[in-house]
Amino acid sequence: MQLPRWAFALADENGCSGSTNAALASVNSLPNLDERALLAEAQAGNRAAFEELVRRFDRDVLRLALNLMKRPEDARDVYQEAFLKVYRNLHRFRFECSFYTWLYRIVTNVCLDHLRRRQARPEDQAPEPNPGHHEEGVTDFFERQREHRPTLDPERSMMGLEIKARIARAMERLSPRERIVFEMKHYQGLKLRAIGDALGTTEETVKNSLFRATRKLRNELGGLR
Amino acid sequence: MSPFEKKMNCKDVAPLLVFYVCDEVCEDERKSIETHLTNCKACSEQLAEEKEFHSTLVSAPQAANELDASGILLSQCRSELEEALDDLHAPPLQEHWRPFGWLRRWMALRPVWSGALLVLVGVLAGTQVVPWLQQNPNTTGQAVRVRARQPLTPDQLSNMVVSGLTPSPGSDSLTVQLQVSAEQPMVLTGRVDDANMRQVLTYVVENSERFDAGVRLDCLDALKAAAGDQQVRAALLSAARKDQNPAVRLKALETLRDAAGEDDVRQTLLDALEHDSNPGVRVEAVNLLVNSLNGEAPGADTAQAPEGSVVAPTPAPGTQGDEEIDHVVKVLQELQRRDPSRYVRLRSAAALRQIGPREVQ
Repeated sequence: MQLPRWAFALADENGCSGSTNAALASVNSLPNLDERALLAEAQAGNRAAFEELVRRFDRDVLRLALNLMKRPEDARDVYQEAFLKVYRNLHRFRFECSFYTWLYRIVTNVCLDHLRRRQARPEDQAPEPNPGHHEEGVTDFFERQREHRPTLDPERSMMGLEIKARIARAMERLSPRERIVFEMKHYQGLKLRAIGDALGTTEETVKNSLFRATRKLRNELGGLR
Repeated sequence: MSPFEKKMNCKDVAPLLVFYVCDEVCEDERKSIETHLTNCKACSEQLAEEKEFHSTLVSAPQAANELDASGILLSQCRSELEEALDDLHAPPLQEHWRPFGWLRRWMALRPVWSGALLVLVGVLAGTQVVPWLQQNPNTTGQAVRVRARQPLTPDQLSNMVVSGLTPSPGSDSLTVQLQVSAEQPMVLTGRVDDANMRQVLTYVVENSERFDAGVRLDCLDALKAAAGDQQVRAALLSAARKDQNPAVRLKALETLRDAAGEDDVRQTLLDALEHDSNPGVRVEAVNLLVNSLNGEAPGADTAQAPEGSVVAPTPAPGTQGDEEIDHVVKVLQELQRRDPSRYVRLRSAAALRQIGPREVQ
């Protein structure tokens, strides 16, 4: 699994990784400014500096939002809302934690809000992928193009879609917090401590959430074994 | 390893396998787990299941991979965020301040309703606002209501325009309101016996060429109550002699009725008899003279006397000096003979009879 760039940085922030610095530096070969200077510039009102910060992290933010929300329009809302919050509150960032942690605290809060709102409206549940009638459920042009790529193995695709559908259904059974913890741990590659920082809670609490989430999923997805 | 120890170890290890698989156990836990796994087949099998489950989950297609495989969504998100930031940075719309702009927009979109609304507003203004303004003339805010505490300066007096004088509502008859416009409109309110108020009233009376005759008449009416004051007396006498308007002169004489027996007033009355061009004023002067001589109201007896006949009345005994009475009689006789107005001649004859038979010198 490819870890997101900020996951490396977050791990480094938490003292769990030291080997990814070089890679991180090369990936973040940003013009002339390190992150702290970029942040200071953005706090001083430099719009370009803020946009550079966004470009550094927004891919992972959108990925998290897509995985959690399952709908592009919802993910777009989360993306927009989260970064506008970051922009409006950037002056409050005091470098007491890493920017990644601070950013993900905002992103996860926005995601939690959206998930809770969605839970409160059963009619607004995310659509379940339907492997048998995939074409009917897909409205995204680019997704249709991707499915028609000749290199894709149809059998593998069908199996993957079926598993994905079952996982998606099982994930719906989780609480918003459990979903976020599971997502951040297994798909974003974050350490539990970093997830706790992002969610504003303890590592122990996150551990419990991950354990409950795994148990629930295993009960739902027993046939996957 | 006893079965009891193995069972305990399995209980301890089982919940940790979830975290062992995803590398979230500390070093001590890892060693304990690995030691236990080497001897426990059940836990090893459970670990294998856990790994498979974990692997299945992690390798399953992720929504993000499908929903934005091309990166188009990310581009859209970036673009939308830039627009939102532009909106945040955009200065507030620099429209000219347009009072009731919403109303104009509303009216532009609804011409029929707007027409009806305008008619309604016009009707309301005509039927409600105008009468209200008329009932509350002082609510227009154009005049300053002041008490006549300070005398007006000569400049103010010379520039003063008096638009009206009314008795002050709710006050005694001595209190009047004077609507004045000098440098700014004002309403003077005060008693006639107030020196400052008298100053304004006498100024109006004395400067007949500057003020409307109606205003002068009102001022004379107001000053009647203070006719005993020297300044007022002088103004009244001046008006009786010099005012160009006969009604004002007549009014001035009336205000002097109570003081007709005094020398300066009597002289003014005689002058009026001899020189005033208006027969009404001359008749009033005759009446006042008779009144002053007889101590009774003149005009009650206007018996006709033969025109041209000269009556030599006898002066009333005691109250007036002979010389004064003789002078009055002489003037009346002269008036009886020569006044161009027949009515004045008749009135003079009647007055001579009222004064009483007297031998003309």
